[in-house]
Amino acid sequence: MQLSTSEISELIKSRLENFSTSAEARTQGTVISVTDGIVRIHGLSNVMAGEMIEFPGNTFGLALNLERDSVGAVVLGDYEHITEGDTVKCTGRILEVPVGPELIGRVVNALGQPIDGKGPVNAKMTDKIEKVAPGVIARKSVSQPVQTGLKSVDSMVPVGRGQRELIIGDRQTGKTAVAVDAIINQKGQNMTCIYVAIGQKASTVANVVRKLEENGALAYTIVVAATASDSAALQFLAPYAGCTMGEYFRDRGEDALIVYDDLTKQAIAYRQISLLLRRPPGREAYPGDVFYIHSRLLERAARVNEDYVEKFTNGAVKGKTGSLTALPVIETAAGDVSAFVPTNVISITDGQIFLETDLFNAGIRPAINAGISVSRVGGAAQTKVIKKLGGGVRLALAQYRELAAFAQFASDLDEATRKQLDRGRMFTELMKQAQYAPLSVSKMAITLLAANKGYFDDVPTNKVLAFESALHGFMGSKYAKLMDGIESSKDLAGDNEKAVEAAIQDFKATNAY
Amino acid sequence: MAEISTIARPYAVAAYKLGKEQKSLAKWSEMLSFATAVSNDAQMQAYIQDPKVVASDLENTFLKVCGDKLNEQGQNLIKVLVEYNRMSILPAITSAFEELKALDEGTLDAQIIAASKPSAAETKDIVKRLEAKFGKKIEASVTVDAELIGGIKIIVGDTVIDASVKGQLQNLAYTLSA
Repeated sequence: MQLSTSEISELIKSRLENFSTSAEARTQGTVISVTDGIVRIHGLSNVMAGEMIEFPGNTFGLALNLERDSVGAVVLGDYEHITEGDTVKCTGRILEVPVGPELIGRVVNALGQPIDGKGPVNAKMTDKIEKVAPGVIARKSVSQPVQTGLKSVDSMVPVGRGQRELIIGDRQTGKTAVAVDAIINQKGQNMTCIYVAIGQKASTVANVVRKLEENGALAYTIVVAATASDSAALQFLAPYAGCTMGEYFRDRGEDALIVYDDLTKQAIAYRQISLLLRRPPGREAYPGDVFYIHSRLLERAARVNEDYVEKFTNGAVKGKTGSLTALPVIETAAGDVSAFVPTNVISITDGQIFLETDLFNAGIRPAINAGISVSRVGGAAQTKVIKKLGGGVRLALAQYRELAAFAQFASDLDEATRKQLDRGRMFTELMKQAQYAPLSVSKMAITLLAANKGYFDDVPTNKVLAFESALHGFMGSKYAKLMDGIESSKDLAGDNEKAVEAAIQDFKATNAY
Repeated sequence: MAEISTIARPYAVAAYKLGKEQKSLAKWSEMLSFATAVSNDAQMQAYIQDPKVVASDLENTFLKVCGDKLNEQGQNLIKVLVEYNRMSILPAITSAFEELKALDEGTLDAQIIAASKPSAAETKDIVKRLEAKFGKKIEASVTVDAELIGGIKIIVGDTVIDASVKGQLQNLAYTLSA
């Protein structure tokens, strides 16, 4: 016989102490039918939409359809033991999950129950999973950066705290890699991260968790996992559960970053639930409210002002803004962004990072298409030094793409065109970056400065990345003080720019790469 | 597939409205419960469900069995049900009709299940308290179920007030296993 962690006598004692024996009046109903996790119930005349209902065997469900003679509900978890005629009770509660700092470093399911074998979570608070987003008055515009540590993202599509930046692309284009790198780079940035895995293979989730652990990122990350084998109801609820966990930090004047990986699968799970509930199908068989499931979720990612935080914490936290930054992921099929769910989410978010299979296969990783990737609000939040130096990257890449198409037909090119092509090629090469190797602001600044000032021009294209990493190593060891200065001020003030240029010249004169 | 109660509702509402107009709700209630009892008979069930039976035969047989217990309107209801092939929902019509009738009379049925038979005074007290809680006249039926171990359980419509030892023990079991 196995002992479980809940069988500690102290725990049992406290539960016995808190057990109340008052008679309760509860609305009951009976199960009419059970089909694929959807239960129809007769009775339950006072049930509310979205209320948690209790089945026998300590199983809970969510009332979704309130019809004239029956209630349609989804079962959260296993439903095999529920049979026709079973009694169902109302609980009078909306579904809640545990929240708080106790969850950090843990892997939990969509209901907040631990699945990492590290014992109970012991969270002191729970909170509703469906909440209304902060209103207009409570918000503040996005003005602080989220450093993803990816050169291409931070220079061309900057993300600010409180922004919602979509990561979109076909399968196998490195969407998760971008998101995980962004999480890894949050070390020491006062950012709590939440990674919500929806409908993924358990092995994939385990890999992500292991990578986060290896890079020391699990120390500030909560992983919410609803794997492919979990019920559609849990896959549908996981993003809301993760969002509630993130809002805990936002509302207390802290910053949090949440990754929804991915919302396509959530929409598919919701489609399954809706069709089984006999709701009318619409485009691509999605129900009519598939836009709303994503818009109400992403609306909760926001930056809230000092007043809101102060009011929320009853004056305990003063003068601090809170933010929840969302990086939703959408998987497209054959690059089709005009499919239903991708267009919806593109229109909801504040910009998108577009990843392409062709670029990925050409070895450009992260495979970001600079032309159609945009950030609508991130510019205001971009780190000063990156903004100053990164402006040219986008332009150089855009010109390069135009010329490269044109140059395929022309045999003789004039000097200016050839130079521009070389420069574009160099920038394309420079935007490549290895996985799990995010760059600090100072290193990124050095790279961009060197590229802007033409120090890469005489470097062969295939040596660009080697040159870059050698330069970073050199700067880190010989000019550590200068680098620290840039890192802390996030700016190239005064003579720093000249000093950096001198250092790069020093490196080029003395080092091989 | 629509729920049986959804199909039964229009018939029940029609019977209720007619009964109310002609002030014959009690007669309707009597007729419906009698017809339901007839249709619940095993032999009659088999006969109703037999696909080989012609509609007119079923109608005649059923009405003959009921005899003079059904007035003309009651007989018409059976004819309509046979015509639309809905004889199987007669019990649902009856219960829906009774619900409407109870709503009209402002009464609620309450089942009081007790571990041991409560005294008349106790029952009266319970009914009084229930009437205060629900704001309607309560028609209580008392049954004894030793499985409750102790205490009582009251069922009024969808609301269940569980003050039995069995219910408390179940709650305790959930609390400990959660």
